[in-house]
Amino acid sequence: MSIENQSVNAFARQNRREFLRRASGGFGALALSGLWQELHGAAADPLAARPPHFPAKAERVIFLYSTGGVSHVDTFDHKPQLFSDHGKSIAASRWLNKPGKFDRYLTKPRWNFRQYGRSGISVSDLFPHLGSVIDDVCMLNAMHCDSDGHDKGTLAAHTGSAQAIRPGVGAWVSYGLGTENRNLPSFMVIAPAAPYAGAQNWGSDFLPACHQGTHAIPGVEPLPNLKPNSAAAELQAMELSLLSKLNRNHLEQRAADQSLDARIRSFETAFGMQREAPEAFDLSRESDATLRLYGLTRGANTGFGWQCLVARRLAERGVRFIELIDVGSSANWDSHGDMGDHEKLAKAIDQPIAGLIADLKQRGMLESTLVVWTTEFGRTPFNQKADHPGREHHNLCFTSWMAGGGVKGGYVHGESDEHGILPASGAVHTHDLHATMLHLLGIDHERLTFRYAGRDFRLTDVAGEVVRPIIA
Amino acid sequence: MKRLSNHLAIACSAVLSCSAAAPAAAAEENAFFETKIRPLLVERCIECHGEKKQKGGLRLDSRAAWQAGGENGAVIKPGDSEASPLIKAVRYTDKELQMPPKRQLSSDEVAALEQWVKLGAPDPREGNAVAKSGVDMEAGRKHWAFQLLAHPQPPSGSQQPLDRFVLAQLQQHELQPNPIADRRTLIRRATFDLTGLPPTPAEIEEFLRDTSTDAFAKLVDRLLATPAYGERWGRHWLDVARYADTAGDGADYPVREAVKYRDWVIKAFNSDQPFDQFVREQIAGDILAQAGAAEQYAQRVTATGFLAVGKRYGYQPSPDYQHLDFADAIDSVGRSLLGLSLGCARCHDHKYDPVTAADYYALYGIFQSTRWAFPGGEEQKRPSSFPPLVLPDEAVRLDKAKAAELARLDETLGRLKRKRGALDGKSIGGGPDLGFESQVLGQPPAAPWLSAGPNKVLADAQSPFAHIHPPGTRGVRVGTGNANEGVRYVFANGLRAVPGRQMHFTIDFRTVAPADKTGAYRFYLGRGVIASLAVEISVTASEIAIRDGAKWEVVRKLAPGTWHTLRLTLDHEKKTYSGAVGTVGDMATFENKALGANWDGVADTFICDAIGHIGGPAPERDLDNIGLGETPFAEPGSGPVVPAAPPADLADRLKNFDEEIAATTKLRETEAAKQPYPVAYGVSEDKPVNVRIQLRGEPDKLGAEVPRRFLEVLGGDVVPARATGSGRLELATWITRPENPLTARVFVNRVWQWHFGQGLVTTPSDFGLRGDAPSHPDLLDWLASEFIASGWSVKALHRLIMRSQTYQLASDDHAANLDRDPANRRLWRHPRLPLDAESIRDAMLAVSGRLDRSIPGPHPFPSVDTWGFTIHNPFHALYESEHRSVYLMQQRNRRHPFLALFDAADPNQSMAQRLPTTTPTQTLYLMNSPFVQQQSEAFARRLLAAPGDDTTRVRLAFEMAHGRAPADSETGEAVAFLSAYRQKLASLEKPPGEELEVAWAGLARVLLTSNAFLYVD
Repeated sequence: MSIENQSVNAFARQNRREFLRRASGGFGALALSGLWQELHGAAADPLAARPPHFPAKAERVIFLYSTGGVSHVDTFDHKPQLFSDHGKSIAASRWLNKPGKFDRYLTKPRWNFRQYGRSGISVSDLFPHLGSVIDDVCMLNAMHCDSDGHDKGTLAAHTGSAQAIRPGVGAWVSYGLGTENRNLPSFMVIAPAAPYAGAQNWGSDFLPACHQGTHAIPGVEPLPNLKPNSAAAELQAMELSLLSKLNRNHLEQRAADQSLDARIRSFETAFGMQREAPEAFDLSRESDATLRLYGLTRGANTGFGWQCLVARRLAERGVRFIELIDVGSSANWDSHGDMGDHEKLAKAIDQPIAGLIADLKQRGMLESTLVVWTTEFGRTPFNQKADHPGREHHNLCFTSWMAGGGVKGGYVHGESDEHGILPASGAVHTHDLHATMLHLLGIDHERLTFRYAGRDFRLTDVAGEVVRPIIA
Repeated sequence: MKRLSNHLAIACSAVLSCSAAAPAAAAEENAFFETKIRPLLVERCIECHGEKKQKGGLRLDSRAAWQAGGENGAVIKPGDSEASPLIKAVRYTDKELQMPPKRQLSSDEVAALEQWVKLGAPDPREGNAVAKSGVDMEAGRKHWAFQLLAHPQPPSGSQQPLDRFVLAQLQQHELQPNPIADRRTLIRRATFDLTGLPPTPAEIEEFLRDTSTDAFAKLVDRLLATPAYGERWGRHWLDVARYADTAGDGADYPVREAVKYRDWVIKAFNSDQPFDQFVREQIAGDILAQAGAAEQYAQRVTATGFLAVGKRYGYQPSPDYQHLDFADAIDSVGRSLLGLSLGCARCHDHKYDPVTAADYYALYGIFQSTRWAFPGGEEQKRPSSFPPLVLPDEAVRLDKAKAAELARLDETLGRLKRKRGALDGKSIGGGPDLGFESQVLGQPPAAPWLSAGPNKVLADAQSPFAHIHPPGTRGVRVGTGNANEGVRYVFANGLRAVPGRQMHFTIDFRTVAPADKTGAYRFYLGRGVIASLAVEISVTASEIAIRDGAKWEVVRKLAPGTWHTLRLTLDHEKKTYSGAVGTVGDMATFENKALGANWDGVADTFICDAIGHIGGPAPERDLDNIGLGETPFAEPGSGPVVPAAPPADLADRLKNFDEEIAATTKLRETEAAKQPYPVAYGVSEDKPVNVRIQLRGEPDKLGAEVPRRFLEVLGGDVVPARATGSGRLELATWITRPENPLTARVFVNRVWQWHFGQGLVTTPSDFGLRGDAPSHPDLLDWLASEFIASGWSVKALHRLIMRSQTYQLASDDHAANLDRDPANRRLWRHPRLPLDAESIRDAMLAVSGRLDRSIPGPHPFPSVDTWGFTIHNPFHALYESEHRSVYLMQQRNRRHPFLALFDAADPNQSMAQRLPTTTPTQTLYLMNSPFVQQQSEAFARRLLAAPGDDTTRVRLAFEMAHGRAPADSETGEAVAFLSAYRQKLASLEKPPGEELEVAWAGLARVLLTSNAFLYVD
């Protein structure tokens, strides 16, 4: 365990002691409500940590999302025949998600692939750093989803549904497992800009709103309202002290009301968050070596390297689900006009992601942290003209990958056909990906339900199969 | 399985022929079935079409089962193998229909099945015809919610009827009701409940002074009469109606007119509009408006915003994603009005409730027959089909007036531009040079031209004639012979026919020699791209033909390589044109030829393509010296044109023109953007159609057509054949007829929930089989009956509920009751409720004195002519306001940060109940947000402006914020707090403001964020 880690735990312990001291020192009702909860079995705290359905491989998720549709054949799905068949015509059975017969031309990637690691998995020159940790990565090369529209595809990747707004996967995980650290939200999203379909991707919909993602925006103030308004810490303490007296008087006549107590406790938490959240976002105590690993310069407070390192710090602090989004709904991976755009986008995330995986590993956290990378869909291996510099949307086959959290490293699951157009074997649908993520967290995706409007809803709707071959 | 037609009728008649078979033959047929068919069905079909699975709703494991058919009707037509979809499927000839899907049957097996069907498909297997759907309509009808209202009598007793129902259950469950709450609690409870605002100290005092027995009833009446009542209860309805100010498509287009529906709802509550009428107008207000009073027209059309205001999925007004828009509308109508989750029946019959897919698509047909306002989207970035809020005749008149005004402005603009053009010396002889001379040699002609095909600007294509424009250096060579390729020019100042004036057009052209292609090319003049044709001239290498009405007339022979000039004079009044074509001194003339019969008098587009009087590839040709004007052009040979010397005051005159043109252009833009009459975000009638079931909810997998009708379980009434409308009027009537037990039950339960935090049925939008059973079924029915009897008066319902003892009970804990009924289902107390998001914000603003009680105008959205939102760059805005929260602009896709934080309704779907949460991020907002800081400061200033000492002001502060007087100990603590706070402030190097005010703001924040503020007893 690293020093940083120890200090975090010490802090948590101290905070707990402080909390208990205050509780015994004044909030006498706490004991009563605890007893009440025991007697009546009421789930007063929807965020309380809960045991999984079965022993979990992973305790938390870092979900990396690249907006716009990352081309699979240019990155992680090496198709030698696409190179050799460049310019040859094929008859595509779908084009822009419309069925029919279309004469199209196979278009080769403009980046070479090379093999990495003991596993010898091929990765294109867009992701050389990721190559360095490839033996921890499990490729899913036959992903597919139902929609080739950005907004619908993004929603499906997050909520399992492109057609109706549903809770996001992070909200489901928070609902299923609760959180270890009440000084931070259970589900946090760090994104410089909203992806397609906006905050609906991390909304809680019908789930209790405490499970919704809290959106932190890279920069000077990632979360609002963390800075005390009072001119001095003592002033805020005075206010909170008076407040607690008033609330205590108020609670005396209403001792059984857990929501009153919850609000009182939330002031404790918020008070803690004022300190703990900025600390989680503060990289000043990270070593030079760590910053280098993520490709960060000291003092930076934006960029995907910053997001990745903050993700590690949030993971250390017990945040259950951390999502990082690289870019928003414009100037993203949607390279219709020129695949060359992939270059700078890949450069922005390659080293940070590789750094995150390496860092988690060296701290012994990779086993318990499931890292998932995905995008809404891939891009067409063929085009209307062979020399067209861009690629279109392709939801029939693309690549996602996982690392850590109990998946096999240096492993490729699923194979696309010789040109990367359709899954050839081991096809994995978005629902399957979600089912597998939940499984690794110890959750049976068919049992994680929420009764709403007369129906038991699931993240995976009525589908989804756990991809068992990838589980270590 | 796809596209099977409905063979149900045929299957029925076949049963008769089957049973008529002779006994001996029957034995043989049975043997055939047992040896060849049964094993085959068992091995290859029944896995998916048997007891365990019924793919496509089809079972093949008994005779009755296959006779009943599947989702698409019958699959076997006994005796006719060619007409049996089952045979078609096993033959694997139709790509869309191949069974078994994984491995084809052998040819022997196919032949056996064919023979079996030809024999009449004899099948000895007994078994019931299993219902195709999981819906058992008869069992479903027995569910309590579908029973007619029971009109129960209250139990005997001296209390109010409502309380008697409640007391009976309390006694039964051995629960002791709490005492009546104290006066201060009552006024705070009733005021927040009915208005979403805290009572003022003056209001509290007045109520405390009123010792009459009906003091509380009078209070309720007073509150019901304030406009704040509609703002509070209208907001409840807006949750159910999934109200938002943006469309919710990927680009989240703003909807300027949504607020009209919002305001209509608020007004409907304030005016106590009968609820049945309220519902009818939301479903069919546009139709009711046609027959109703003129002064109610606008209001009724506005009411249909209920349907339109849901989440939209499309990028343009097209059928592409309409099935999703309709899914929202159907589901919202089901949940909000009927308490049924109809959305489940989109893909299959409802799993639990007696709602079939046919029910769903019967309603779908009604909405398909409706025209929906399109809010704007990625591909069509402007709103369309918004229904007018003026009577139809008036709308037509205003539309015409607007068109006429725009035409007048266009005419003025054209005239100004032509005059200016004549002045600046750049265009001679009428009309500018159409950009020829500024084009780049060797390139296709660029803007203002459009070019398709291998066309080039060449020096070689310069016309030798100089009577229109001064001698130039280049022309256009149209190098394509393809029919649909060529060049197009849109005149910036096109002409519009004016009575008494003619139009003149001229062009020089030659066919490039040698002309080996024999087809014709064409000159088109008119409005737009063949939108309204004025003249067509067709040219081959050897002749020129003009269009005279319907026929082509060759007017002259031409020689390839020779330049010709063509001049036309158009007379819109006489519908004729005349002209001449040829070379200098050798012109062939033609007169009084018929103009395009439907020409609307606008000439703004010239096209040269190759659709002429002779087919085949057209030869290459050169074009130059095009002119269009209101004055005749110079005669051929009269040139060369020399630019006139510019007048001395040219600069001034040009400047004047430019200013006038700019002003007129702006005026035109303003006029064009003006909606000639107000419109609503609502619906109107479209062509009535029935639709076909979409199998598994997929619009390209169609099943049987269903007539537009109401839900079968609620009567199944069909839209009458004689009805000319969509069926929405009928739907509105069916939903609100007293025999439909759901509408009144669902709504009184909602009202109960909004008063008490939970309904008598705790699943307010699900009264189906999986919903919660009512805790007090008799009370629910009694309330619903009373509600209907009162003329569906919502305010009467409030009075009924709030005057009861049950409503007025204290919220105190009671150990024994808590043990027996911790969730208070039996109503032994009034629950303690947290303030909802709107109430927190409104109450803070009210206490701070900053609340703006006026009704705001429209949201300050960007002007519609600037809208270019896409999914890549969606609309996003956050508008500051100190109006009540119901008036905040609420986006669908990016929630309002405050409202989302405090659990306000997510407008993506009909919201039955808010689920309040307590999160640290909320608390951080309370502790540190600028909003709370501002309200604290304003509250402090308000307190400091009041007379008296610290103690008096502290008491006032508690009265204002918590509606109660503080205990002496609390007053003492607050006063001590103020003094300690000021002391600390004085010790700071940089105090944040005036000491007294900052200290009071600190106290104000404590009061505004304490539980006594955030909860109502």
